[in-house]
Amino acid sequence: MAADHIPVTVLTGFLGSGKTTVLNHLLRQPELNGVVAIINEFGEVALDHLLVETSEDRLALLDNGCICCSVREDLIETLRDLASRRVAGTIPPFHRVLLETTGLADPVPVLHTLMTASDVVDRYRIDGVVAMVDVVNGARTLAAHPEAVRQVAVADRLLLTKTDLVSDADRAALEQRLVSINPVAVRTLVRNGDVDPCRVLDAGLFDPSAKSADVLRWFETASQAANETHDHGHHECEGVTCAHHSHHAHDAGVSSYSLIIDEPIRHDAFMRWLDYVAALKGEDLLRFKAIVQIAERPDAPVVVHGVQHVFHRPIALDGWPSADRRSRLVFIVRGIPREIIENTLCKFAAVSRNAVHRSAA
Amino acid sequence: MDRTFADTVFRNGRIYTSNRQQPWATCAAVKAGRFVAVGSEADVASLVGEDTATVDLGGRMAMPGIIDIHNHIMMGGQADLYELRFSSSDSIPRIADAVHKAAAQAAPGAWIVGGQFGNNLLTSLNTTEACALLDAASLGHPVVLRDDSYHNRWASSAALRLAGVSADTPNPTDGEIGRDLKTGTLTGLMIEAASGLVERALAASGHYTAEMDRTAVARSISVLNSYGVTAFIDAASMQPIMAALKGLDDRGELTAWAVCAMPVVEPGFMFGKAGEALFAMREQFRGAHVKPDYVKMFLDGVPGAKTAAFHEPYVADPVRGCCFRGTTMMTVPDLIRWLGRCEKLGLAAKIHCAGDASVTQALDAIDVVRSFNGPTHLIHHIAHASYIAPDDIARFAELNVAADLSPIIWYPTVFLEAHKAAMGDERAQRFWPNKDLKQAGALMAGGSDWPVIPIPDPWQGIEGMVTRQNPTGDFPGKSLWAEQALDLTTVLDIYTIDGARAAGLSQITGSIEVGKSADLIVLDQMIFDIPVDQLADTRVETTFFEGRKVFERR
Repeated sequence: MAADHIPVTVLTGFLGSGKTTVLNHLLRQPELNGVVAIINEFGEVALDHLLVETSEDRLALLDNGCICCSVREDLIETLRDLASRRVAGTIPPFHRVLLETTGLADPVPVLHTLMTASDVVDRYRIDGVVAMVDVVNGARTLAAHPEAVRQVAVADRLLLTKTDLVSDADRAALEQRLVSINPVAVRTLVRNGDVDPCRVLDAGLFDPSAKSADVLRWFETASQAANETHDHGHHECEGVTCAHHSHHAHDAGVSSYSLIIDEPIRHDAFMRWLDYVAALKGEDLLRFKAIVQIAERPDAPVVVHGVQHVFHRPIALDGWPSADRRSRLVFIVRGIPREIIENTLCKFAAVSRNAVHRSAA
Repeated sequence: MDRTFADTVFRNGRIYTSNRQQPWATCAAVKAGRFVAVGSEADVASLVGEDTATVDLGGRMAMPGIIDIHNHIMMGGQADLYELRFSSSDSIPRIADAVHKAAAQAAPGAWIVGGQFGNNLLTSLNTTEACALLDAASLGHPVVLRDDSYHNRWASSAALRLAGVSADTPNPTDGEIGRDLKTGTLTGLMIEAASGLVERALAASGHYTAEMDRTAVARSISVLNSYGVTAFIDAASMQPIMAALKGLDDRGELTAWAVCAMPVVEPGFMFGKAGEALFAMREQFRGAHVKPDYVKMFLDGVPGAKTAAFHEPYVADPVRGCCFRGTTMMTVPDLIRWLGRCEKLGLAAKIHCAGDASVTQALDAIDVVRSFNGPTHLIHHIAHASYIAPDDIARFAELNVAADLSPIIWYPTVFLEAHKAAMGDERAQRFWPNKDLKQAGALMAGGSDWPVIPIPDPWQGIEGMVTRQNPTGDFPGKSLWAEQALDLTTVLDIYTIDGARAAGLSQITGSIEVGKSADLIVLDQMIFDIPVDQLADTRVETTFFEGRKVFERR
């Protein structure tokens, strides 16, 4: 992936979660100069120095017929059009896209589009997914709408809005919910849409120019977070049983865990395992991120991330920041027992059983 | 009428039950189509009321209705009713003669559909001379003849014209249009997917109507009933087949349990909706006795045509060279995706694997699916589990995969001769390791693959599994891998209770037990008391389906 790909930040969140307020605020910041915003609905964004593209909801099924991998044709057209107008000079050069999804949208088709559509992946890259959760209605929304759970599950960052309207206790309760769905997303509290652009942009994990130390630091934090949540139930909490007995059950069995593998993994075996996961468990693999030591190129850590059955093409970083070259895998899943992941890694990715560790030691 | 009385009691029989807890009984009582008592006179006496019908078995042997784990229910009847029949051992001139007779009587322009020529003729049919012979015999009619594998066709020039096949038509994927090796001209031989070109033209001609479909299926099932078969899996259920089955069931005329295996992709010999589009319709075809709960996948073709996928190469030939092993039609990831999808939909898969490499690939894919999905009640089938690498034998039981033993060719036949030509004698004869599978604990089920074999007579299969010799008297004195013979009890399990397990029907049929469907057949001989080479002579005298007499020998 070339470093000059235009980053796309996906802003998602339910109706009333404050997306428009946040977007309005962000677009006024100097850091946001040269940003194109694509919004799905005509909001109240009106800024003369920016382009505002609207995009209608039109879904197209990929030929494998799975509804969860529908791509957004409208989005492909919009992004393609923007890129050609940029080249033709009919619009000012832009260096970033902010993509706001409709409140009801399942963000997965949008992400699949950004990861797979040929014209899109040639010119753009996902910078990150930012989900907004309004703390007043958040708990209700999560309970009533699976799309909301999915928005949280796929997010790299969570912006908690309307925090001035609830008590600390209520906010903490909601945060607990959010952690149970997605412990690895960084949470930021927002008032009146006032958010520092650095809390939204450059999630960086998928940026080929990212420093491997930063990426690794992310994995350290994420691994710990995933495992802490996993142990939350105060009992030896395993796989399917876990979903039944812990708070995870409230979120349709969404849970998270991380693995550390302390031996290099063969490239073809790992890719084969990814294929199998995608084919058989894709629907329930809400988010997957990994930094992997590949046996054939042990000096260059490879970052892999996936949303359901679609995996981004692996990104090789320049080198490991330290002597610690263990692979880290972080999963946000719906009802996939951890044992299945461990067993299949051993069986199909040729990983030895004693190289797989659960805790972020 | 007292509700506790039986509708029917069977008395004075030697009833083999296929129930290990109670292998034999003399009496059985039936109410509302289900067995309500199985045992001795004392067990049924209290169930006999005024209106109870008594069937005196007169000391004869009875047993559960037989399961045919693999047939093509419409084609059997179609072949029987509407097609020109000739023997797979017929020579090319004899076939041409038969075509000539049919052509002389056919309506102008009418298709002549027939079968089945021997697989061993494929090479000699692929010549200008054979083509000229067929064209002369056809008197200008479009003719399509199927081979005994049903994977390949021999078509007249008129049929090729209607199919739009000309000298410069490219070979379809997974198929080959026969061309004379010397002259390069079309021969009319159509291998695998190329068959579809001609079959499509036949289907488009309206040669078969919906009513003919229903009649054909009804005819097939009455043939099955006459051999004692009361349950089957149709191994490539297209929409018209399921419609015909459901139509018969709604009329109360379906006299067997019909399990349907819907193709995931259009097979080379049937045309119409397949895969998701077909699965989506399945509930409209479900009936009291129609169960569209399986899918069909094809991984390869047949050994005789060198279209089956093997670990070791075929015998060298001028077309394929020295090292051709055959190829599979699906990759492991494709297979995995389909299996995953099917398991999600509650469908089990019947996977056609004629060569040992296909068997390995199917087992590999199932292994992956099991590793990710965990255990399931669905039992996938390896169809035609016949050439199996030794290392794969134990995997059937490990992965809970059923060995679909079909067609009935586990003894010397013309198929074997074709395989010898393709693979060499020694390899060809390592065919049907039934005993090895049994010892490894595999679930095994017997099927006919009718009309691949022209008569769906399970008794030939039963004798052949025990003797490994040809029960018809062909190939006298010859055995096929005699060490793989099974004992009769095991073989009866394969054709009854184990078949029912593999077909997902074990709660319903497959044994004579209280609560199960009263599917019972009466035999003309006590098969445990006769020499094993007389098993195939067994005649079914009466067939009961749900306690109802659906066949009686006259």
